[in-house]
Amino acid sequence: MGMLRNGGREFGGLWKQRKRSVLSFSTLETHHNHKWSIKQVTKSNFAETLEELKTLISSSHFVSVSLRQTGSYSAPWHKLLPFDTFNTAYFKAKFAAERFQLLQFAVCPFTLSSSKLVAHPYNFHLFPRDELKIGMPSYAFSCQSSYLTSMAQEGFDFNVCIYDGISYLSRAQESAAKDRLGSPKIFDDVIPPLSTSVADALFVERIKSRVKHWRNACRDLSTKTDEALLRSLRKLVLESKEYGSRPSMSIDVCSERQVQLTLQMLKEFFEDLVPLVIPTKGGGTQDVKVVLTSSKEDKSLFQRELKSLEDAQNKQVRGFRELIDLISTSQKPIISHNSLNDFAFIYSKFIGPLPPDVDDFTHSLRSIFPHILDINHLMKEIGPLKNINNLPAAISHLKRRFFLNMDVEIPQHGKGDGDTIHGRNVLTISHLFAKLCSLLKITPHSFQSNSIHLAPALGGFANTFLPFSANTNSTESNHGELRIWTGDTRKVGTENVIFLWGFRGGMSAVSLKNILSKSHQIFSEEFDVRLVGGSCATLVFWHPGLSAAFLEIMSCGGVGCEPLKEMTAEGLRAASYETYEQVCRLGLWEADLSDALDKAMENDVPFSETNAKALPSEINWSNDYVINLEDL
Amino acid sequence: MKNQWCLIRAFSKTLPLTQSNLSTRTLCSSTSSSSSSSFALKNVTKANFESALEDLRKHVTAADFVSIDLEMTGVTSAPWRETFEFDRYDVQYLKVKDSAEKFAVIQFGVCPFRYDSSKQSFIAHPHNFYVFPRQEFTVPGSSYEFLCQTSSIDFLAKYKFDFNVCIREGVSYLSRAQEDEALNRLSASYDDELSELWSCSEGIKDIPLVRIPDVLFFERMKNKISEWRDELLKDGGGGYQLHKTSSASKQQFQTIFFKMRPALSLIGFTSHQLRLIELVIKKHFKDLSYVRMNGEKLVVYTDSEHDRNELMKEVKSEHHKEEELKIKSAVGFRHVIDMLSSEKKLIVGHNCFLGTESFVFNRWHDFVTLYLSDSCLSDTDIAHIYSKFLHPLPVAVEDFVSSIHKHFPYIVDTKILLNYSDILRRLTNKSGTSLSSAFSVLCPHIASTVKSSGLASTPHMKVEVQVDDLRSSSWNSGAKHEAGYDAFMTGCVFSQACAHISIDFEQQSSSTKLANHAMLQKYMNLLYLSWTNGDIINVSTGNRNSVPLGHHVKRRYGEIIFSNIVLLWGLPPKLKVREIRDAISKVFGHHSVITIYHLDQTAVFIQFSKEEFVSRFLDLIHSLERNKDPISVLHPFSKLLEGGNARASGYEVYKEICGSSMSKVIFADQANAVGSEWKTKLVNSAAKPVQENELIKISDFVNVNARTKEEKSDVIDDHSCSNSCDVVFDSLYASSGSRFG
Repeated sequence: MGMLRNGGREFGGLWKQRKRSVLSFSTLETHHNHKWSIKQVTKSNFAETLEELKTLISSSHFVSVSLRQTGSYSAPWHKLLPFDTFNTAYFKAKFAAERFQLLQFAVCPFTLSSSKLVAHPYNFHLFPRDELKIGMPSYAFSCQSSYLTSMAQEGFDFNVCIYDGISYLSRAQESAAKDRLGSPKIFDDVIPPLSTSVADALFVERIKSRVKHWRNACRDLSTKTDEALLRSLRKLVLESKEYGSRPSMSIDVCSERQVQLTLQMLKEFFEDLVPLVIPTKGGGTQDVKVVLTSSKEDKSLFQRELKSLEDAQNKQVRGFRELIDLISTSQKPIISHNSLNDFAFIYSKFIGPLPPDVDDFTHSLRSIFPHILDINHLMKEIGPLKNINNLPAAISHLKRRFFLNMDVEIPQHGKGDGDTIHGRNVLTISHLFAKLCSLLKITPHSFQSNSIHLAPALGGFANTFLPFSANTNSTESNHGELRIWTGDTRKVGTENVIFLWGFRGGMSAVSLKNILSKSHQIFSEEFDVRLVGGSCATLVFWHPGLSAAFLEIMSCGGVGCEPLKEMTAEGLRAASYETYEQVCRLGLWEADLSDALDKAMENDVPFSETNAKALPSEINWSNDYVINLEDL
Repeated sequence: MKNQWCLIRAFSKTLPLTQSNLSTRTLCSSTSSSSSSSFALKNVTKANFESALEDLRKHVTAADFVSIDLEMTGVTSAPWRETFEFDRYDVQYLKVKDSAEKFAVIQFGVCPFRYDSSKQSFIAHPHNFYVFPRQEFTVPGSSYEFLCQTSSIDFLAKYKFDFNVCIREGVSYLSRAQEDEALNRLSASYDDELSELWSCSEGIKDIPLVRIPDVLFFERMKNKISEWRDELLKDGGGGYQLHKTSSASKQQFQTIFFKMRPALSLIGFTSHQLRLIELVIKKHFKDLSYVRMNGEKLVVYTDSEHDRNELMKEVKSEHHKEEELKIKSAVGFRHVIDMLSSEKKLIVGHNCFLGTESFVFNRWHDFVTLYLSDSCLSDTDIAHIYSKFLHPLPVAVEDFVSSIHKHFPYIVDTKILLNYSDILRRLTNKSGTSLSSAFSVLCPHIASTVKSSGLASTPHMKVEVQVDDLRSSSWNSGAKHEAGYDAFMTGCVFSQACAHISIDFEQQSSSTKLANHAMLQKYMNLLYLSWTNGDIINVSTGNRNSVPLGHHVKRRYGEIIFSNIVLLWGLPPKLKVREIRDAISKVFGHHSVITIYHLDQTAVFIQFSKEEFVSRFLDLIHSLERNKDPISVLHPFSKLLEGGNARASGYEVYKEICGSSMSKVIFADQANAVGSEWKTKLVNSAAKPVQENELIKISDFVNVNARTKEEKSDVIDDHSCSNSCDVVFDSLYASSGSRFG
């Protein structure tokens, strides 16, 4: 176990003596080829690593995570845009998470003291292999070729993922899989039915006498020394089978209620019998199997056997998700960069299908991971970092601006892991977080590794998913607090935002604004235009109510006003922000935003229910004339 | 320590290919010929693509036929996209189209075969191209995306397909359509630029000079450049040098000639500095121009406005040419396809044309236990070739085949050959016609690892393999499911098959003759539309026919009449086929239903005995959906409609659903998503708030009844409840059960 300080040069032994040398974590970025001790985990060493991590996580202050996917967005406007509300941002994240696949999942439990970060980075390689041959976890997934190409340039090893990646099932898939695998279930607790009818009583009596008869016969069978033939004949008559080495019989049941009645009866009258519920492939109950044990010891032995069998199967079924469950039960705060996207992926791959509504998502997620901290959000607290949203830039900026003494210790997992650049990001995130904490004067003694409560100083940052909502220090990000653009911005209510498209391609925002201002008197009031990509624009009226008025004019084809009518005839279209939300909600992810808006207009259904729920929200209005989709 | 070891092992799996690559290359210099060897395939990546292409061109020109094989990232984008017997030919084409559009080709095997009469043997040149759709020249901003079917990727991984080589080194490509589009865009922007020659000087934005260092730099550059210009004008063509400057700046400014004009070459500036210099020129020097060319940045002197225009024109056209070259080079792997097309060679593939060799077994019950048969990754090849390298696939199969025929006039599918020829069918009778079994039966002398059965060895066609300078008559690369090797096997099977149907290669001299050989005409240009149904289409005539294929295909569902078919989806999850049949029999009589077939767990096809039942059934379902009065709950169909998600439609809607570019894993989801448009329209016209409330109430009522009904149905269904007494008691219970539910 050696100590690593800054760039992992410790390996050479050269830097050992130069303790407290100038500390710059940027070496992490520049020395890609250094042997960082990030443990690479594939299916062969997964089980033992999980054991290791169990203790590491429970003794850590934080767990940082970082993911690698097969793609991020398929058209430029599918990216998070400055005018996205939390709602639309969620739909975008959901769309990506449902289509793309996770290939790597890096996890780093770490502890923090005044000037020292002790980190345990692990990088898990994943592949959604159908280990159980039940068509799960993923039938097919999408890849973005440019994304894969740039990953390849970084030296990403696809073969390791695909050959030896760990598979998994989400919680939702697990319960479906168990039904499909048809493995017996043990029932410890029987819920007694509230009342029993005559039919119930008759059923129970009949089953009871059958079981009694069978059990007595079995006992006889084991004592008597019959001929083999005779024994097997008896068995045949009794419909007795063997479960492992123990005799068993099946009780046919016709409903879940009868299952409960049977279980209750068995528990009440037969101490030495262990009931097993055999499910059908469809998910219902096929029958109840009764297994006869020879003694109390034998019964508990059998139950233990069943338990360990179940555990082994669970392990196999859950695969990588065991780690997610581990992190979830530890209740440790999770540090992530781009938390909305990351957690949309985590949710959809390891929990279940993403809910159609953003509030359901945040509530459900909070019950699983109570504290999620987005590093982007913390960065917004530090003035100069406001406009930086990539990790290396943030690190180098911090390095230039502040002198922060931060040791990084990575207790090693052993040397010679070969190419271990994979999963570096998770270290960078941990380190950046440590620095930000020290800058924000969030003192280490406020974290307690055994506490499930978040340090109060960090509480304000938890569970804020959109990175650019720093203007408000509140945790309320659910509706509308949005993204800061470069420089100062004005806030604008979404009800004042209008989408325009169908104008001549290649027009600049300035010329569009000019044309519009001459087209109708409504434009004599203050308004602004921003292009979104080449074919679409957003229009804002600063005077409330004018947006609605303009939409009204547009829906009448601009009649009564020649220039606007002319433009409409040429193809100009306008829609409210609601239409944009609808585009995202309905998943009209066309390559071109204008096509998507057109489609949404085509089947414009009055969404009375959702409209009532959607609170008017605010977005920030950028100073730039063009929202350049390529640059975001 | 153990973990690391595992990891090293994992990483080392990437090595074999590179090693074998090396070994072939090193051995290239010495020509050797062995009787049985296992040298590697000719692997082609972007590093050796140019040379391999030239090499291949020679072999293709000389070849009698060329066999091909493709490896894809998947076959079906959803379980219900697999081939069903209930797929009409046009639906089948839509499924193939979906597959070709969604999945990527990642390996392409090309193997030219030439008959060498002096040796009385074929010479094969297997090439294995790694292909990866980098797609540099698609519409800017849009990113190319492809689908991976998890089971297919896993399958390839089992055969140690090297994904790293594919993604890092794979040869990229542009289809003809993409190339045309890129060139059009280029020429459009070229025209634009010419028309706005003055205004657009590369469209630099005015960078505000607010920072002191920028202002200083700006002034310094202004001085230096003006100094240089003054010197230039003073000398009148003499030695233009920047005097009085430090050696450092001498290195940064070098005077050269650019298109017969004096110019200053700018070296070693940052892009920000270059932008400032550009600004200097634009603001202060009317007779100087800032020019970017081949990565060089220049300040060029022009002596008049006219001269300047000329210069800009020249620069623009050179830019244009440069871009054009880039596009041409991005064509990449398509050059191979163009070559095969222009040479008009006989193309041979194995079951690779249209039909998906399906997994005929009861796919629904062990749904997804999708067993990959050995050639299942190599179907839909032609559709892939068309959509990746030529044009987007047309909507109608007729248009597709006629277009294919123009590009590839001679195509033979060995799978059809093996199934159609009586002699060959007898030979492959027991083993089936998958590629590897056909190979081991027909070419035991080539497949050295396979024991000779002695049965098929009557006519022997020798095949010699040549990879670079290595030759062997009994070659096994050990690389099954490498496209190059599969293409080789296909060609071997074809050459043996030809010998069996008595084609004498001695008499042949060129490939067109082989393609025109009378014995081959029966099999020429026939493609499977659906292997399951034996639907075949003749590419040259466009005729379709469905021929019973003897031993390989057995119809399980009798004759299928599509107009008698109804599609039903969104069924209650535990509904059994028998229950559906019973429900329908109660309404339409006992023999009304011919077949019920599950597409997946949420949807069924129902084939009625008469066409009139179709419309009656649909009307009934729709009216039950609309009027959910208490009486309708008693209708036998209410069992089908439990849960309120069930929808029914005729066969044409199924086609529409298959034609959608979406692919939801569950069929019911897909159908609803595709149908959402007309469904919402329907809601739009009918929805009044009051009605909606009523609907909700009634459906609640239906659900309550549904629950008791479910239990009852279990009783009837379960054979295990043999005791009639039980049934009585249990149904007693069931009727009282609702009290507890």
